[in-house]
Order: sequence, then structure tokens, then C-alpha cells
Amino acid sequence: MDKPTMSRHISGKFNEELEAVRNQVLSMGGLVEQQLRDSLHAIEKSDHDLAEQILRRDTKINALEVQIDEACVQIIAKRQPAASDLRLILAIFKTISDLERIGDEVERIAKVALESFNKDQQEFMVSLENLGQLVLTMLHGVLDAFARMDLDSAYEVHQMDAQADRQYEGLTRQLMTYMMEDPRSIPKVMNVLWSARSLERIGDRCQNIAEYIIFFVKGKDVRHVSAESMEQTVKGGRI
Amino acid sequence: MISVTPSNLQAEALDLAHLSAEQTALEIRGLNLHYGSAQALYDISMKIPTNRVTAFIGPSGCGKSTLLRCINRMNDLVEICKVSGEIVLHDKNIYDKDVDVAALRRQVGMVFQRPNPFPKSIYENVVYGMRLQGVNDRRTLDEVVERSLKGAALWDEVKDRLNASAFGLSGGQQQRLVIARAIAIEPEVLLLDEPTSALDPISTLTIEELITELKNKYTVVIVTHNMQQAARVSDQTAFMYMGKLIEYADTNTLFTTPEQKQTEDYITGRYG
Repeated sequence: MDKPTMSRHISGKFNEELEAVRNQVLSMGGLVEQQLRDSLHAIEKSDHDLAEQILRRDTKINALEVQIDEACVQIIAKRQPAASDLRLILAIFKTISDLERIGDEVERIAKVALESFNKDQQEFMVSLENLGQLVLTMLHGVLDAFARMDLDSAYEVHQMDAQADRQYEGLTRQLMTYMMEDPRSIPKVMNVLWSARSLERIGDRCQNIAEYIIFFVKGKDVRHVSAESMEQTVKGGRI
Repeated sequence: MISVTPSNLQAEALDLAHLSAEQTALEIRGLNLHYGSAQALYDISMKIPTNRVTAFIGPSGCGKSTLLRCINRMNDLVEICKVSGEIVLHDKNIYDKDVDVAALRRQVGMVFQRPNPFPKSIYENVVYGMRLQGVNDRRTLDEVVERSLKGAALWDEVKDRLNASAFGLSGGQQQRLVIARAIAIEPEVLLLDEPTSALDPISTLTIEELITELKNKYTVVIVTHNMQQAARVSDQTAFMYMGKLIEYADTNTLFTTPEQKQTEDYITGRYG
């Protein structure tokens, strides 16, 4: 199958509607990415003001989700999209729900930034920062892939998740050791553990979005399939 | 309620290339058609499965109605029309010289775009074909009328006025009457040429509902301009363009992940 193009419909109005909803998804993505970047920054610098701001901005992401949902419903009702148009709408529906959830996870991370950590505890903050940067790269990559509906970069992001999982496991072990050595630190370390968990979840959600992009381009559902079958879908023609 | 899982969707999907003989109602092989020097159909080959609804879609002038008419040799009526290739029904090419065309048309019934009841009573419209065959026994005819009108989902609406003129019926009812007339002689295949294009949305839905009923007894082939209609009623869809069969696949596949770019452009309403 050829790569679905964003070529023009006979109905110019339909084109505009699809274009508008795509742009909204991209701005929602941009906003979520900014939130994640800020939350990592807030943790690194213990910037409480920034953390407060992040918490306030989440409502904007939620509002965008509702708005895009509505636009998609209108398109389905009025245009009865088929084939690649239908797959685009489905991909958008699912992508924005994952983006909204990423926003919620970021909120959790920002709450950790409101805590104060002593010097000893700063050391595992570095590992958290590393995981954060990796996940930020994934989110940036998958949004970029979404903007261009690019199969290869979506697949690349999908593969990166394994690395994020490994880093998360390493960090968990590190934090458990810390808690065993100094039980008084448990409440604080638990918070760090939760934000590490949030980052790992964001990685999973980026992986989901990558799957929707592959679904849009190839017309094949690659959720819950083996790595080989996924690679075959991405690299090969239609199966 | 039937649960739809990927596995039973897969089982539903017909592999059209590998239909066995008893699953195939009609097989079109290398069909070419010329109107004078202009070629209207190019080398069409396809298998139409038994007790399924097959839809032909495509832009105006793509040859879908022409192809449909080939199936009961309606094109014979056009003098300059020349057909080569085969359409096989029960191991017999319907274009063979020894085929009785009237008998063929009893096997392959047809319903047109505009309802065309005869200027007679509802009853006489339904039994018209039977009378042509020389059947005049009142009991038999009564049975046929009831069975056909029930089959066409019209019985309840007209059972008390069977002797009233067919022209008193609404457009949607007239179209169902015409379908009743077509199924009265118990054909195997029903050809529907844009059967709802002259009807309002509610009558259209009634006819669509009827089509899904009809496929239990007949093999249905429908030409439609309404893509959503093809998506709703058919089991497999053929997309035609400029006299060629571009893509023929299970309807679920064709409307979500068509293989050809031309099909994609047509069903999504894009410039080709």
C-alpha cells in the first residue's frame, strides 16, 4: 500500500476540518512536551514556582483534549470518513487520550519537585534526570513522527522504550537500596519512585502513539504483536 | 449478540481468489465489452460468491452498470454492443450460442434505479412473470403473491389492498413491489442497479434492510453510487474505474485499508 498522503479532498471544507484538528493535536503535543521539559527542570533546580505553574497549566491540556474530541465527533458525523481519513481520526482519538494521560503523569512529577531533597538524596535525582531526558527524547520524537506521519521515526521511538524500561529498573534497584539503608528516607524516596514510575509510563504512552502512527500509515494494528511481526509490518509491504 | 473478535472477522473475510465451485454463484472470466469502437470494459475477471451481497462502486461511466447488465445479457438489446469473454453460471457460459436468454433472465432477476411497476394491480404486478410462464392457478398465484410480498417486506403494508393500482404506492413501496415481482419467479441471482437512488433516506434504509434479508435466499449484486450504502450492505466490494476492475476485496478491508491508491482516493473523496 502506498503511504497515505495528505493530498486534497474534493471538499475543501473537509480538508480544512482535518487540517485544523491535526494542528490542534500538534499544539496539544507541544504543550505536553513543554510541561514534561519544565517538570524535569523544576526537579533539577528544585524550582517550586515552576512546579506550581505546571500544575496550573494541566487544565489547558484537558480542555484541548475535550475540544479535539468534539471536532473528531463532528467530522465522523458529517463526513463519514473512510480508509486513511478514518484511520487518521481513530489515530487522533487515541493519541490525544494518551497525551492527556502524559499530562497527568507530568503533574505527578511536578509534585515531587515541590519536595526538598538533601545532598545525599540528590545523587539518585541524577538517575531520575537521565530517565527523564530519555523519555523527553521519546516524546519529542513521537510528536515529530506524528506531524510528518513518518513510519521510521515512529518505529525508532517504539524501540527506545526497552531502554527506558531498563533505566527504570536500574533506578528502582538503586532507590530500594537507599530505603533499606536509611528507613527514615522512605517517604521522600517513595515520591521519587513514583515519579520514576510516571516517567516510565510516559515512555509506554509514547510507544502507544508510535503504534497509532504505524496503524495510520500501514493500516495494520500492531498493538500486542510480536517484535518480529511488528518489524515485518514496518519494513515490509502489506501483510 | 455476536461478539466480534479479530479471529472471527478474519473468518468472515472471504478469500475471493480461492472460492470453491459451490461457493461461487457466478464467475466472470476475461470479459471485454465494446460499444461500437469504444471499449467499455477491459478484461474483467472475478468470482461472485453465493448468498452474499457483492457491490460494484466507481465514478459515473466506469462501467459498473454495464458489467451488471452483462450478467443477465441486458446488453444484447444494444445493437452496437459486443461482448467477449465468459460469464459462467452453473458451469455454463451464459454467452454460449445455445443459451435461452429468457430462461437466463428468469434465473438472474433485475431491479432498476427507478421503480417501474406495470399499470396493473399490486397482485397482478407480482404474478406477471408467473402468468408469462403460463401459470394461472389461483391458489398457486395467491401463495406466490404472499411469499414474494413477505420476502420483499411489503406484505403487511399492502395485504388489504392487493387489487389496488400499484401506482398508488409510495416510491419506496413501489421499489419493494418491483423486488417482489423479481423474486416471485425465484431467481438465483438478483441484480440491483442503484435501487435506492430515487428514494428518500427512510425508504432507502428499508430497502437496505431488505437486501441483507434477501441474501439468505439469493445471490445479490448491487451497483450503487452511495459508498456508505456499499459499505453497509455488501460483503464484498469491487471498485471499477475507466472500465477496469481496480480492486475487489472483502468490504471491511476495502473501506478501511484499500490496497490501491485509486481506490483510496475514490472512497475518501480525493482528486485522483
